[in-house]
Amino acid sequence: MSIHRLGVRVALGFLLVVVVQSLSAGEVQRCAVDDMGKELCIPAPAHRIVTLSPGATELMFAAGAGDKVVAVVNYSDYPPEALKLPLVGSHTRVDMEALLALRPDLVITWVTGNPPAQMELIDELGIPAFAIEPRTFEGVSSVIERLATLAGTEHEGLAEAERFRVGIAALSEQYRNAEPIPVFYQVWEQPLMTINNDHLIGKVLQLCGGVNVFGDMPRLVPRISSEVVLQADPHAILTGSVEGVSDGQLDMWKQYSELTAVKKNNLFFVPASPISRPTPRLLEATRIVCDYLDSARER
Amino acid sequence: MSRLRSRDLVINVPGRSDGYSLNLTIEPGQTWGVLGPNGAGKTTLLHTLAGLLPARRGEVVLDDTPLKDLKRRDIARQMGLVFQERQDSFPATVMETALIGRHPWLSPWVSEQCEDQTLAEQALEALDVEHLSDRLLTTLSGGERQRVAIATLMTQNPGIWLLDEPTNHLDLHHQVKVMNLLQAQARSGKAVFMCLHDLNLAARWCSHVLLLYTNGDACWGPADSMLVPSALEKLYNQKLITVEADGAPIFVPVRPGPTP
Amino acid sequence: MIRPLLSLGFLTFVAVVLALGLGSVTVPLPEIWQVMQGEGSALNRALLLDLRLPRTLAALATGGLLAVAGALMQVLLRNPLADPYVLGLSGGAAVGALLAMLAGMGTILISGSAFAGAMLATLLVFGLAHGTGSWTPSRLLLTGVVVAAGWGAVITLMLAITPSYKLPGMLYWLMGDVSYARAPWPALAVLVLSVVLIMPLARNLNVLARGPLQAAALGVSVRPLEWTIYLLASLLTATAVTTAGSIGFVGLIVPHMLRLVLGNDQRIILPASALAGGTLLVLADTLARTVIAPEQLPVGVITALLGVPTFLYLLHRSR
Repeated sequence: MSIHRLGVRVALGFLLVVVVQSLSAGEVQRCAVDDMGKELCIPAPAHRIVTLSPGATELMFAAGAGDKVVAVVNYSDYPPEALKLPLVGSHTRVDMEALLALRPDLVITWVTGNPPAQMELIDELGIPAFAIEPRTFEGVSSVIERLATLAGTEHEGLAEAERFRVGIAALSEQYRNAEPIPVFYQVWEQPLMTINNDHLIGKVLQLCGGVNVFGDMPRLVPRISSEVVLQADPHAILTGSVEGVSDGQLDMWKQYSELTAVKKNNLFFVPASPISRPTPRLLEATRIVCDYLDSARER
Repeated sequence: MSRLRSRDLVINVPGRSDGYSLNLTIEPGQTWGVLGPNGAGKTTLLHTLAGLLPARRGEVVLDDTPLKDLKRRDIARQMGLVFQERQDSFPATVMETALIGRHPWLSPWVSEQCEDQTLAEQALEALDVEHLSDRLLTTLSGGERQRVAIATLMTQNPGIWLLDEPTNHLDLHHQVKVMNLLQAQARSGKAVFMCLHDLNLAARWCSHVLLLYTNGDACWGPADSMLVPSALEKLYNQKLITVEADGAPIFVPVRPGPTP
Repeated sequence: MIRPLLSLGFLTFVAVVLALGLGSVTVPLPEIWQVMQGEGSALNRALLLDLRLPRTLAALATGGLLAVAGALMQVLLRNPLADPYVLGLSGGAAVGALLAMLAGMGTILISGSAFAGAMLATLLVFGLAHGTGSWTPSRLLLTGVVVAAGWGAVITLMLAITPSYKLPGMLYWLMGDVSYARAPWPALAVLVLSVVLIMPLARNLNVLARGPLQAAALGVSVRPLEWTIYLLASLLTATAVTTAGSIGFVGLIVPHMLRLVLGNDQRIILPASALAGGTLLVLADTLARTVIAPEQLPVGVITALLGVPTFLYLLHRSR
């Protein structure tokens, strides 16, 4: 049994316990534990939800509760329906008045993306808040399930969570014995930044049989010099870009013809928001990364 | 009525040996003129007497108390000083400047009253600057500002007046006016002590004179005993001709030129 | 003498009412009145009492604190370009606060650490400028500017080594914002107390503005007074910074504008700075939260946009 399967069991068992508990209390109360470890119980399924990060918007739609979202923050561009929703500012600066006036019964916050002061204020105002930030594949499925629980859309939510779980598991199985290939993932060009193995993108690389040349760096998003990239000599260089087409972000590497990745023309562009947001679209992005690494192995 | 004394005072002029120590007594009613070449330490002496600079040796005594044992506020009620150089980083009007003189007399919570205003107006009038009272200091000429500074001291109304070159920038008429005013103040019981660079003003208006030499030597006494050509020629390193007019000596520098 | 203060007080009142009335959600005046009387709908009550009132009062206090701190610094250094931001006090407070955030401390410790940072900046600038005994305003200003640049570098370094998940909180704080200010009362109390306590010294400050020698000759104990001002200005700055992060230029523009209109009597300038600084920040914050609502601007951006041209104009005119 793979690690993911085990995760499924644990998550489902947990969910069961939560629901049973709340039923025994004699109320139609819905409870879930957020990614900060705090349990939130709401008396009825949330139907006026505000999401305070683009990822949270996407996950809410994935959980089947898109029609219960009443407002979002800037850059909530997926799914396209989200673009029509009213805004309450950006994830770093939320218009608290607009938020309050919407009388939300659930606000989905972003553990490390929203300033702590903002989350404290939401708590003080007595608005039910649920902080999320999936850092693993299983975390994505689990958060969809928990959001579905809170919104009362378990039917669609659990199915979508399972689709993602199964999809990732299948890819994981497919690439379990893939030939390891040294990879460099460029998060940003100037300053040059990458990710380590703890980052979800790092996990994507590993799943596809890639060996992140900076996987052991202590920081989640290390800032590095181009010299160490040359020294590491990755066989493939990946970066995120809008629509996954070249936008010149990797051109700087072309001057180093001795780099294996350049020699073999293994400079790849992955659609940026699917790879960087912990949402079901990560499955598609992972497929793309795996395909790229496959073609890199062949060259 | 205040009396200012210096006991074995050696002023701190950097790089100069101690020289002669000063034992001055400046009594009410006296008008002192300090004469000396540039760099002799006239301003340093004035600031030391006012307690603004530490002495190298000796002490300054106000009535019977050493200056260092007195609070600045108490000193300021008895002794005031007109500086040669003035700072004005912020705009201020002539009236505001004169009223500043009341500062040592007012308690922290009290603001200037009518009588303070009247004192300031009288002082400005005495120095012919009352018509400028709403003007900004920065818009005045050098001579007008000098007169405002003296008016400020007059508003402060201490027993001892220290002035650093009070006739600087003044035209002849106002030089005379200021010197007359200082003499009148002395006659009314103040002690006036000023640095001068014009020998003849000292000769005409001062009752006492202090000669300050570049090497730190000094001598002092009643004006007529001090203002003798030999001493003054040595002081300024300049040959002088003495003439007498209107009952006072007048010193004129000898013009260098072809000897007959 | 009282009249300009009364007019400013009225302006402040108008600004506060405006700030309470304006926002992403419009609350009409009658309903504001209802809420003030303890009635009104739950939403209006939450909007006004939980969001706008604390925020407006925080802006009022912060603006007042910074303006008074600026006015004090300017007299101290006899230089209209002095300001807690320019002199590195804000920088020191910011470094203190960021260090506490980096260490994962709570709100109260962050405030304490910011205060310690402002004090350290004070001692550093004063100590270094004091140095060998000569202590001229230009030397002090220059020391302050250099130390401020140093704080800037330390801040950049800290941001570079900060785990990315802590960045939003730190950046938000650095930009200066009253959006989430919750407890304006300590800041307001510090402001009112400081102004009341400094008033007996105000005439001393007038005299000090004429230069330290002239001040001493007029009976001012110059050195103790200078230390008192510097410490008080640090306290005011640290309180402002812990309330609303690092907001620049209020301390520069407000006293300067007031001097242009009211002259340079600190007995008027200091309380007027408290009122006008508060009013300015209340209005700037109202602008910041409404101008492109629902997008929110940090109020520090608005004050800097006003402050930078003013500063340059001052520099240009002073030479």
